[in-house]
Amino acid sequence: MTETPKQKRKLSRRDFLVLTGVAGGLYFGVTLGVLPFARLKLAEYLDEAGGPPMTVDAVPLAWFEIGTDNLVKIYIPKVEMGQGIHTTLAQAAADELDVPWEDVSVLNVGTGKGLDDPVGTSASNSTSSLFPVLRQAGATVREMLRFEGAKLLGLAAESVSAENGFVTATQDAGKKVSYGEIVGAVKEWVVPEKLPALKKSTDFKYIGKAMPRVDLLDKVLGKTQFGFDVRVENMAYGAVATPPRLGAMIKSASAGEAATMPGVIKVVIEDDFVGVVAERREQAWAALSAVQIEWSEVKVWEQAEIEALVQVGNGRGVTVQTEGDAEGHLRGSVLEAEYYTPMVFHAHMEPQSAAADVRAESATVWASTQSPVSVRGAVAKAIGLEAEQVTAIPTFLGGGFGQKINNIPAVQAARLSKAAGQAVHLGYRRTEDFQNGYIRPPSRSVLRAAVNKNGLIEAIEHKQASGQVAFPFFPVFVSKVMGADFGAYRGAQIRYGVPHKRVDAWLADLPFKTGWWRGLGMLANLFAIESFMDELAVSVGMDPFLFRLANLPLDELGGRMKKVLEATREKSGWDTPAPEGRARGMALAMDVGTLVGCVAEVSVKNKEIRVHKLTGVVDAGMFVNPNGAASQMEGGMNMALSSALFEETQVKNGALSPTNFGAYKFLNNSASPEIVVELLESGDEPLGMGEPPLGPVAPAVANAVFALTGQRLRRLPLKLA
Amino acid sequence: MDLSINGKLYQVEDSPNRTLLWVLRDELGLTGTKFGCGVGICGSCTIQIDGVATRSCLTMLSQVEGKQIRTLEGLATENPDGSLQLHPVQEAFIELQVHQCGYCMSGQIMQAAALLDENPAPSEEEIIAGMDRNLCRCGAYPRIRKAVARAAEIAAGG
Ligand code: FES
Ligand code: FES
Repeated sequence: MTETPKQKRKLSRRDFLVLTGVAGGLYFGVTLGVLPFARLKLAEYLDEAGGPPMTVDAVPLAWFEIGTDNLVKIYIPKVEMGQGIHTTLAQAAADELDVPWEDVSVLNVGTGKGLDDPVGTSASNSTSSLFPVLRQAGATVREMLRFEGAKLLGLAAESVSAENGFVTATQDAGKKVSYGEIVGAVKEWVVPEKLPALKKSTDFKYIGKAMPRVDLLDKVLGKTQFGFDVRVENMAYGAVATPPRLGAMIKSASAGEAATMPGVIKVVIEDDFVGVVAERREQAWAALSAVQIEWSEVKVWEQAEIEALVQVGNGRGVTVQTEGDAEGHLRGSVLEAEYYTPMVFHAHMEPQSAAADVRAESATVWASTQSPVSVRGAVAKAIGLEAEQVTAIPTFLGGGFGQKINNIPAVQAARLSKAAGQAVHLGYRRTEDFQNGYIRPPSRSVLRAAVNKNGLIEAIEHKQASGQVAFPFFPVFVSKVMGADFGAYRGAQIRYGVPHKRVDAWLADLPFKTGWWRGLGMLANLFAIESFMDELAVSVGMDPFLFRLANLPLDELGGRMKKVLEATREKSGWDTPAPEGRARGMALAMDVGTLVGCVAEVSVKNKEIRVHKLTGVVDAGMFVNPNGAASQMEGGMNMALSSALFEETQVKNGALSPTNFGAYKFLNNSASPEIVVELLESGDEPLGMGEPPLGPVAPAVANAVFALTGQRLRRLPLKLA
Repeated sequence: MDLSINGKLYQVEDSPNRTLLWVLRDELGLTGTKFGCGVGICGSCTIQIDGVATRSCLTMLSQVEGKQIRTLEGLATENPDGSLQLHPVQEAFIELQVHQCGYCMSGQIMQAAALLDENPAPSEEEIIAGMDRNLCRCGAYPRIRKAVARAAEIAAGG
């Protein structure tokens, strides 16, 4: 599949909004003109994922404030959940503004401040979408400061420069005025007709450098406010009943003893909702278990029934990719294999949480959310206010991984607050967190291919089935129009250079909520495709590295894939023998334009798979913060390894199981391998880094296990027979 | 009853069956200590009681009467000139840029600080063993290990 060349839209002066503050200071917003840009970005993403274009009601994407004290505040609508975006975006703005690093801070703001971001913080798009915008905004403000600074110095604009927070006479370094002094003095600003050029990469001070994270001092001191930490005036604590079985609804409920239990402020019983508000969290929990609830009788689902629902050819299907005539070339002797990936929880360390203060005419919601705009809308609807009457304030997130796109706890907190007439904090216990959300759906892939004796794939077919991923978050008509779910088939396309290829996807209707999980369908699909590539290589007796190399497409993407593969081979010592008792496996992933190559080095003891080392090579265009990118690689590869080795959610006795950490095992420190990372640049624009590192790990491990034991494991988590 | 937390005395209602974690967080506003699982598995709620790393989600108020409690908020100290003196573990976690979301890190830092008090120069194996029950969903383990080793160096004057 060839990459569509990226259209670049240049910002113009009409994209900017300038205001002066009452007490001096310059406020500079990147405004409406950004809308087409945001749309373009979204369209690009949906295009890659195969989704529909959608209407975006977006307004300013970023907002600066330069104070008379020289301090620069950058407000952005993207939340920090560990990906380091506050830092990378500060680097973009500070570099072009040319201000000292210490003078910059980044804040994210709630809705209603002109920063309503329709996309939310997802799809690894934060850096790639805002980076060019913030650079242009920074460069423009710097030019305006230079112009006004020259006037204040009584000099021509050509004879001053703007650097490091000062406008200085080129001939006389002693003659200077600080940015703060300039914004204090100037009342009327003019945005230049022709926007200034951006810095050359050789002039970068912060971009491309390992700048320290802006949020870490607060984090090591315990000062950062996560959603679970929100405390507001006169706040009580809530608890909400969770159905004991999938699909169960409240038939009837009575407060019983709960109403008179210690600390109880209100027992809330509504049609579809039962909760308690109390002075303390533990009191709310105790009272909730005393409320008598009769749940509707429902079918008691078991795991085997769920897996049977996820079948290629079952339910609604759609063709995702087709070139040539795959079917016609897949007659006779072909290789076929089937792969399965299970449901998993997100298990973000901070359970979902929100606080709400609902008044007669307005409401404020603080939420650990990836999407404040959708929180605002959902809360408004639930409590009968207009969206404009609701302010949604995102906090720092203790991990999100896609789960925190949902509005469930925010809506529940608002309902409790409305009923109790005071502010309420709702923080899920882990068991509630596991039951209340959209988990990663199960997925099945069936691949078939014909390979000639030179090791070239002549035809390949990928049939994929999965539960919903993106549909729950779109209007119903989208799912009707689209057929299968574009989130589920993210990563399902065949990127190799094969003349005949076809990819089809089917959507399974499941009796529980499934949705976004870091990378959406990417991990599942790449596990299947990249394991299958290994099987094909083995079938013709070729080295898996050389086999991939032989089957690259002959375009720009193929060139990048080749570089990544070669670097992966080099860095991992692919051509040298693995240490005694170990073997290596390789895989290559592409996601949101980013390429990641991976080699896993494994051993097996008592049927237990041990991964000693993961080598990851990533080409993400350019790296705004190489240390941050390395950190995303380490964390993302570890999270994928956790999926590969340990994680599985099952349906047991009609409910999701297990119900807490421990029984739900995920990667711990001693299981974390040595991780070696290499960053490869291939351009001057950053691509996504949040999700792509998850792509190649599971197949690399499975391929290594095959090389070591001869057992081909086609199901996650990997377990030896 | 009185609780001694980070060198200060706090008065809380005398109900011995309350869980220390929620008293710290909800009643006293010391939200640096985190809740992750409530069942002693994840270590997000790790604090120190008389210098020993302890899971506050499994600790009852009755168990801490008269003991010295330390939370993340009390780990850094003040220099004579009033400036902030980070604990070597805090310094090392910043130096190595360990945090991703950072939610598990209060627990990791408190665990690491207790580990180094007991064993000022741990080997890599000892670090892994000592930190193994503190989970990090963001997968920052490689940096956690390096940072604990680095903190030992800093504490030793390096
Ligand atoms: S919250 Fe205490 S160990 Fe998880
Ligand atoms: S940094 Fe996010 S859980 Fe450890």
